[in-house]
Amino acid sequence: MPPDSRLAPANGLRFNLARPSQEQIVLLITIALLIAFSLTLKGFATLNNLLDLLRSISILGILGVGMGLIVISRGIDLSEIAIMAASWSIALIEMQQGMLAGWASIVALGLALTAGVVNGAIVAFVEVPALLVTLATGFAIYGLVLWFAPAYVVYAPKDAPALLFLGAGRVAGVPMPIFVFAFCAIVMHLFLSRTSIGRFVYAQGDNPEAAHLSGVAIRPLIVIEHVLVGLLAWTAGLVWIGTTGSMQMAITQGTMIFDVILVVVIGGISLVGGRGGMFSVMVGCVLIGTLLNAFTIMDINSEVQSIIKGIVLLAAIVLDNRLHPRDEETARQGDL
Amino acid sequence: MNRRRAVLQVVGGNKIYGGVHAIEGIDFDLFPGEVHALAGENGAGKSTLCKAIAGAIRLTSGDILVDGKRVDFEQPRDALAAGICMVYQETSLVPTMTVAQNIELGNEKLLTRFRTLNIRAQQLLQSLNFQVDPTTPVALLGTAKKQMVEIARAIHNNARIIIFDEPTASLTPEEIVHFFRLVRNLRTRGVAIIYISHALEESLQIANRITVLRDGRSVITAPASTLSRDALVQHMIGRPIVQAICGRNSKGASPRRKKVLTVENVTMGMVVKNMSFSVYAGEVVGIAGLIGSGRTEIARIIFGVLKRNLVNGGIIRLRGRPIRYRVPRQAIDDGIAYITEDRKADGFFETMTVDDNVYIGKLATKRGFTHLLSHARRSKLANYWIERLKINALQRKARIIELSGGNQQKVALAKSLVQDPSIVIFDEPTRGVDVGTIPHINEEIRRLAEQGKAVVVISSYLPEILAVSDRILVARAGQIVAEFNAEEATQDKILYAAVH
Repeated sequence: MPPDSRLAPANGLRFNLARPSQEQIVLLITIALLIAFSLTLKGFATLNNLLDLLRSISILGILGVGMGLIVISRGIDLSEIAIMAASWSIALIEMQQGMLAGWASIVALGLALTAGVVNGAIVAFVEVPALLVTLATGFAIYGLVLWFAPAYVVYAPKDAPALLFLGAGRVAGVPMPIFVFAFCAIVMHLFLSRTSIGRFVYAQGDNPEAAHLSGVAIRPLIVIEHVLVGLLAWTAGLVWIGTTGSMQMAITQGTMIFDVILVVVIGGISLVGGRGGMFSVMVGCVLIGTLLNAFTIMDINSEVQSIIKGIVLLAAIVLDNRLHPRDEETARQGDL
Repeated sequence: MNRRRAVLQVVGGNKIYGGVHAIEGIDFDLFPGEVHALAGENGAGKSTLCKAIAGAIRLTSGDILVDGKRVDFEQPRDALAAGICMVYQETSLVPTMTVAQNIELGNEKLLTRFRTLNIRAQQLLQSLNFQVDPTTPVALLGTAKKQMVEIARAIHNNARIIIFDEPTASLTPEEIVHFFRLVRNLRTRGVAIIYISHALEESLQIANRITVLRDGRSVITAPASTLSRDALVQHMIGRPIVQAICGRNSKGASPRRKKVLTVENVTMGMVVKNMSFSVYAGEVVGIAGLIGSGRTEIARIIFGVLKRNLVNGGIIRLRGRPIRYRVPRQAIDDGIAYITEDRKADGFFETMTVDDNVYIGKLATKRGFTHLLSHARRSKLANYWIERLKINALQRKARIIELSGGNQQKVALAKSLVQDPSIVIFDEPTRGVDVGTIPHINEEIRRLAEQGKAVVVISSYLPEILAVSDRILVARAGQIVAEFNAEEATQDKILYAAVH
């Protein structure tokens, strides 16, 4: 890892032109793309389209805020989508059976947080890698929900405007999901950069053993992190329902979780942990959003979109490699 | 020797990392059958130079000549083809393969018969007079034997130049003697050897010539016979050193001192067996012993990292109260600090600055925890420790991984001492620390004892143990086998107790 890059947010954004960090490179590429598409694509640089672009990546972004947190701590949570889909599927079924929307939302929140506690407890106390634990719990959650409530698509009640507001509403012409994403990212940024527990998250991601030996209570910390992922999955689900009017268990089986990891990693949150911040998530999201939006305007089919997504990820890694050649003194396994 | 032609020459070698010269204008030569030692503090450029010679990195400018011909190695494989082989600190053998397979590694034919392989390896090992069975998996070998296998592999690859990087770091005194015999054996075969070691005494003993590097430049190259340890150190740090030893507490046992920590018959598996000792307030207890004698393990048991046996595991008392910690956090809350032997593995947070490292140490304690971070408090803490431990504060904004080994160690110290412990356990406090910094650390150890803290120093470096300790314990095979007062202890007595 090169010096001066991937600074913790506590250090702010330090621009070093000689050695730009990955988030800065991605930011520049995004800006370049935005300019290029504005000049070449008709209908791209309109206010409505740009708002739509941001709205479309908001859910991904909210999930990315949670994933970013857990990856900074050198963990990962593959069950995030399952938690989102499962908690809200059950809540919507309860609503259909007559439960008040408010109560059902609280039930969903309870389920999401419980899933986080279970994930965190297994990772922390059984000491199994988070990758495998959350992969397994993701499957288990999917199965359990379909068992109790065998419905792949559950529709939200039409008469609950408050429930749908965060996904479908607009304030001053700006779609609510953008506000929710911005709010989540800012709060998480403040948590990571201004609180001691946030510092511990970076310490754990940097060197879990050193953190343990320094007296950081690693186990409760892991549980807290997974619970926060659950909370963000719940928030993302709330926005999802407002946007689509339904919740589908099928998304659990899709590739959405990889998109979440993609936006987190592209922006410079390294899988080795302790590096990057919420700015990385935002930059990664905007880059992916810009590409997807331009593809839609250009009417490129989804296969080609997939290929281009793959190329972008590869390009990000190769670019980072070129700009920051590996130094055998400091390189670590798993370094992006 | 100079009549013969140099087998290796480096002319005007430069390597620049991010605008900084790691090595600058280095001239270096090596003759067949010669041991040429490199000395210098951490970061002086020894490793960089050797990596360039071994093809692991490429020089920014300057030439490397082998047998007078200019070469340009793109990767270690090219260097190997030219007969240059580097034996790394961490051995590069594949643990699950046998000795014979490891020797052959990289040269395998499409089809190999294990029998032929084993016979060939056996012949090679015998010709080198190594007592290793070629059919044993490498994982089962000790460090010394692993090194033999590495050397055998180098010879098998027709190496004419072998680079040893800290070869004796994890060897016992007896193994070191054997290793030296082996190096002399290689020398008579006409192999040229570059030898990097922190132990200057070893370099003086084994080398024909010594080159001292400082800040990436070559300061002096001279025959070993014309140099002394003091002269080397002076060249390494560029000025005469202040004597490391600061007046030891020779009053001996004061009757009023309090017993702080008692270890009674502590047992953990096969590593620690019935270990017993006590530590008093205001004294420094040194624990000497070979690697694997259970010294580090007992420290980790006290600190709650490792767990002693539940049944017949013995008792550890803190001021008379029996303790058994699940996690280090509890030990820290009880005022125990443990500074680890391998700071890179678990001693500090490499992505963070000096200030952040120290501050996290404070935040992780019960009394130091606050919900919100305070920049003022962080700077205040860091300022205090930077001044007290003389940490090089020019690089405060740099990530700690970019600091020198000595500064890193001081930060690791500060991160523990900021927790205000009453018992401090140092594990190899000056390993990989530049000579100029060692006195600062030893001073701090003495200062802690004078403040009334109980201090334990675990070290393999006997002069250090002798310099700082009031009382010296010797560990062997998981037990304390001898105890000396500071006055009566000598290196010979300690070594004898540690080995026999």
